[in-house]
Amino acid sequence: MSSFLTKRLTYMIIILLAASMMIFFLYAMTPGDFISGNLKLSPERKAELREIYGLNKPIFERYGNWLGNALHGNFGYSLAQQKPVLTLFNEYIWNSFLLAIVSTFLTWLIAVIIGVIAAYKQYSWFDTLVMVLIFAAMSLPSFFIGLYLIKIAAVDLKWLPPGGMLNTGSNATGMEYVKEVLQHMTLPVIVMTLLGLGSLTRYFRSNMIDVIQQDYIRTARAKGLKERKVLFTHALRNALLPAITLVGFELPALFGGSLIIEKIFNWPGIGQLYMQSFSLRDYPLLMGFTMLIAILSVIGTLLSDILYRIADPRVKV
Amino acid sequence: MLKKGIILLSSLLLASSALLAACSSGGTDSASHANTQNNENTQQAATAQPLTSLVKASDLSKLPEVSQKRDDTIIVGLTDPAGVFTPYFNQSGYDGNVISQLWTPLVTVDEKGLPLPNLAKSWDISKDNLTYTFHMVPGTKFSDGSPLTAEDVAFTWTLIYDKAYPGDSQIRKLNIKGGKAYTEGKAKQIDGIKVVDPQTISATLEKPNALALSILGDNVLSKAYYGKDYKFGQLDYFKNLHGSPLGNGAYKLEKFLPGQEVRMVANDHFFKGKPKTQHFIYKTAEGDAWQFIETGDTDFASFTATQENIDKLKGLGFLNILPYTPSTYGYLQVNLENEKLKDKRVRQALTYGLDRKSIYVDAAQGAGAVANIPASPIFWSYTTDGINPYNYDPEKAKKLLDEAGWVEGSDGIREKNGQKLTIHLLTSKRPETDTFIALAAENYKAIGVDLQPEIFADFNAMVAKVEGKDYDLAAFSTGMLTDPSDGIEQFVNGEIKGYNNPKVKELYEKGLSTTNIEERKKVYKELYVLLNDELPVIFTNYKKTVYAYNGRMEHVKVSPFIGLAGNLFEWSLK
Repeated sequence: MSSFLTKRLTYMIIILLAASMMIFFLYAMTPGDFISGNLKLSPERKAELREIYGLNKPIFERYGNWLGNALHGNFGYSLAQQKPVLTLFNEYIWNSFLLAIVSTFLTWLIAVIIGVIAAYKQYSWFDTLVMVLIFAAMSLPSFFIGLYLIKIAAVDLKWLPPGGMLNTGSNATGMEYVKEVLQHMTLPVIVMTLLGLGSLTRYFRSNMIDVIQQDYIRTARAKGLKERKVLFTHALRNALLPAITLVGFELPALFGGSLIIEKIFNWPGIGQLYMQSFSLRDYPLLMGFTMLIAILSVIGTLLSDILYRIADPRVKV
Repeated sequence: MLKKGIILLSSLLLASSALLAACSSGGTDSASHANTQNNENTQQAATAQPLTSLVKASDLSKLPEVSQKRDDTIIVGLTDPAGVFTPYFNQSGYDGNVISQLWTPLVTVDEKGLPLPNLAKSWDISKDNLTYTFHMVPGTKFSDGSPLTAEDVAFTWTLIYDKAYPGDSQIRKLNIKGGKAYTEGKAKQIDGIKVVDPQTISATLEKPNALALSILGDNVLSKAYYGKDYKFGQLDYFKNLHGSPLGNGAYKLEKFLPGQEVRMVANDHFFKGKPKTQHFIYKTAEGDAWQFIETGDTDFASFTATQENIDKLKGLGFLNILPYTPSTYGYLQVNLENEKLKDKRVRQALTYGLDRKSIYVDAAQGAGAVANIPASPIFWSYTTDGINPYNYDPEKAKKLLDEAGWVEGSDGIREKNGQKLTIHLLTSKRPETDTFIALAAENYKAIGVDLQPEIFADFNAMVAKVEGKDYDLAAFSTGMLTDPSDGIEQFVNGEIKGYNNPKVKELYEKGLSTTNIEERKKVYKELYVLLNDELPVIFTNYKKTVYAYNGRMEHVKVSPFIGLAGNLFEWSLK
């Protein structure tokens, strides 16, 4: 196991280094920079500002500086917001995480339950209905569902707030604060859960169908075990195993923020911040964020490999 | 980066938020390209639309409960404040909007854009138009109660000349005497800046500039607060102060919740008296203008003045609706270094051949007007006298192209020297772009021009392509302009590459060398006639917009040039 870890860690470092280079050069070579959007500046002033911001230096030197600082944990200052990049992450990322973790939890929970039942009652009316609904949810764009829910639940019925994270000007603390946040996150969580539900349910359903046709399930039944026990203890455990791989992929998504959802519901998350930074060419922020996602992806993959090995010792990684 | 008069392109989210203008500070922001609205302003007492067209709320009982319950707070949507709340340092126009509530400048402007006393109760301009002396209202204070004096003004002006100054303030462009020496580190202070007494300060320029009064008469930074750690060439410490501004405006910052809202509270020390409403909040509302105003979450928003929008706003019943024309203009930038577009007749033909009324007025349900000069109808310099309106006339366009030597080829596309008249057009992705492209392609086909459009979702990429000269026409709109010279500047500062007309430069300088409005009017008229004939860019349109606000709000005036900042302190809820 330990030689496996060393090897994996070495790969990780190489992968991250390669990723950082690709990211940096890609951004640096995209047409336009932070200064070019300001058409009010004279050409001379643009040159002066590029000097001040270090944008006129050769690209390799810029990369070297950035990497050197990043290795010391310094991801620089956002050009647009004039704050340390890490401070900005801290201001926005947890809001995204909150939405993502709750909707991921709900998605998995609901998907497992529906998937198992649908598999068990394959081709029943329940299964058919679920499949139809799932395809409907999958084929509707998120912005449509989002805007429709806002129209119905917020504007027309006034049940829930149309967006944001808190009531404007609210000074709520403690339970009041929790309640406000819960109200504001209800709609975005519903949309995100609906979106994730489709593919995951289908995944669990087909895994489950495979598993319940196995001999050991027949054996379990033959032993006279209760059907519930057969399904949820014997079958589900094995059906969930391949899903461990998915867990790893979820990790970067938890912190990456959902651009569309955050935008529609005006949620103060990192996805929105990232898009704004892109249109501004705020390089330090873009670089920092993309690296963060790269790091999380690599860690996620590693985690799922390790988990898989723990769950099923036959697997060699 | 748009600040007061900056070019921005495209209101991606046209109907999105409310915002107002103003950053009379040096806000810049390439992001604000997303929303022209912000930097636009109302026109209210000015020419085109009289104040009588304000539509009052018809039924205040329809006001949503949440807004009914609010007593001491006014909430306005703002696209995306970044949190750099220091004048001259902000990178975005949205932060400029916040700053304009936290600070009040030495000199403000009236609804025609002409200077009005504010913190400076009067000023003298020397006979040679070089020295500006400001006499300040005695006893004014920053929001912490500390005095505001001429020393603070001197500190502010000097700071801009620091070599490390990273913003886009225009104070540098004024060339205060000795400023350059200071920037280069050859002088300890700027000779042209003189503190006469605690209430009097003067600045001497190297060259007359009609904008000096408004540029110098901008916001004042407290020397005691912002200058405490100042060392020449070291401005990094400012970054730590952006989140805790110390201003002298109607409101002071209470709390900034990134991505959510900017909370402000009335400043007891405001020199015009404490504001009527205790709290003012800018709510981050990207693209949510409709839902937030409908649910009463915001009290004020701006929308394009399409018939559909106006009907819907009226239908809500609880909103007052105020129409206005922003001080911007739209244009198609022409690549003048391109051989085929060097001929004035081709540019004129492309203007005659484009049915601008259908595209910008009819297709926009009336939310626009055709532009023919680089100035909005709300400007004091605006004129139609001697201006060719270039009414849609395909026959005339064809004739001009014939004269220029472009003859119709076998496929209906004109040719000259074996080259086809293909026009490569860059434009940004906006709701109205599709209509524009469809109609323009049809119009141009009719006169034998092949239009090849390319649509960009990303502003900076489009600008880079324009800078790389890889285009024939590019669609732009200016940001809010505050002075007639702002609209001309692009023709003399090298921004319109390939355009080099000494007459325009001469007139531009002449327009800035005097502060006499009547004289300036004559100069700008001459410029407009010239530019209208030469068409270094193809002028396209003016936008029309409406402000909609909670019918409970009283004493609301919105300045065409400084937005809400002008009288926000008088706004109240009935």
